[in-house]
Amino acid sequence: MKDNSIQSGVPTRSLAIRQIFWEAVIVAAIGAAFAFTANMISPLGLALTRNYFPSGVARSVRPVAGDGLLSAAGTNSEALSPAQFLAAQMKEKGLQVMDGSQTAQLFHNPRFQSNLIVFIDARDEEHYRQGHIPGAYEFDPYHPEKYFDTVLPVCQKAEQIVVYCNGGDCDDSESAALLLRDVGISNQKLFVYAGGITEWMTNSLPVEIGARNSGNLRNMNK
Amino acid sequence: MDASTVLARWLLGAAFLYMGLSKALHPVDFLKLLRQYDIVQSSLLLNSMAAALPWFEVFCGLLLLLGIAVRGTALTMMVMLVPFTGVVLHRALQLKSALAIPFCAVKFDCGCGTGEEFICRKLLENFLLLLLSVWLLLGRGRQLSLRFNLFKSSPQ
Repeated sequence: MKDNSIQSGVPTRSLAIRQIFWEAVIVAAIGAAFAFTANMISPLGLALTRNYFPSGVARSVRPVAGDGLLSAAGTNSEALSPAQFLAAQMKEKGLQVMDGSQTAQLFHNPRFQSNLIVFIDARDEEHYRQGHIPGAYEFDPYHPEKYFDTVLPVCQKAEQIVVYCNGGDCDDSESAALLLRDVGISNQKLFVYAGGITEWMTNSLPVEIGARNSGNLRNMNK
Repeated sequence: MDASTVLARWLLGAAFLYMGLSKALHPVDFLKLLRQYDIVQSSLLLNSMAAALPWFEVFCGLLLLLGIAVRGTALTMMVMLVPFTGVVLHRALQLKSALAIPFCAVKFDCGCGTGEEFICRKLLENFLLLLLSVWLLLGRGRQLSLRFNLFKSSPQ
């Protein structure tokens, strides 16, 4: 009796393991089909073949404390802050980097009022509406098709274009600048404000809440 | 009825459903976070991972909540959880050495769908999820299941 139960228990267990394995394979296969279909149907879905990072898929920016961003290259760039590191990377790609005082000067330049100087906000809509440099155009580089119609004619007429995002190790401004360059905007008039909106607000410069030219201005940190 | 095992299944299902949905609703944010790991160099692969993983988690979460193919789903979750935890741990160790701070003081958004978290807490969470998966894999949480085994003749 005892021997029989042992002998019949082994194949039963083996069958159970095999069935769990095949069950997992089926779950994985149907799950993958479900996942790609859901992404395709979702209005927020990603386009699989688009390169969302014209500056390169591989990330080589060192981390900011508490920011949580790091790559393997992060450990051997001790002398540079994340913003400096990013600025160096942008220069390597032929982009011109602008600091806070230069950006503020352009903001106060009369040519800004006549759209000869243009600010481009490369963050998503939610962050843009929470506060952007007054008069800046929204241009989320992950959904460029939504903004090209508005932004391209303005950029073509402008003499200087300042692109910014959050600052720190955010490289969305770099992506946006490269996208604009790819569609024919001259590299000579493209500048990236590496300090971004964080530095702008730290310097107590005004931000505009809501839509562009909403008139809802606030001075931050005052 | 063993209520605790059913609750465990629902808990694991709900956790995966929540984590999956929070990423699926912000796919670009997840794409950026995934990029930080430098695990793939191809944009097609990176996009595919960022597009599929959140919905895959939603799918697995739903299966567990409904009680369908529970052991196969638990195994699939384990197969996902182990390498993810390894990658997160590797990243945390990099941050620890780069920032010269104690391991448990490392805090970052791992792209797990729970926002910025201290690493020790994250690892504990993943360990608990893994433990629950193992428990389900052993055949627990059978009650209130629509179809616990996909194969009718599955040994109990």
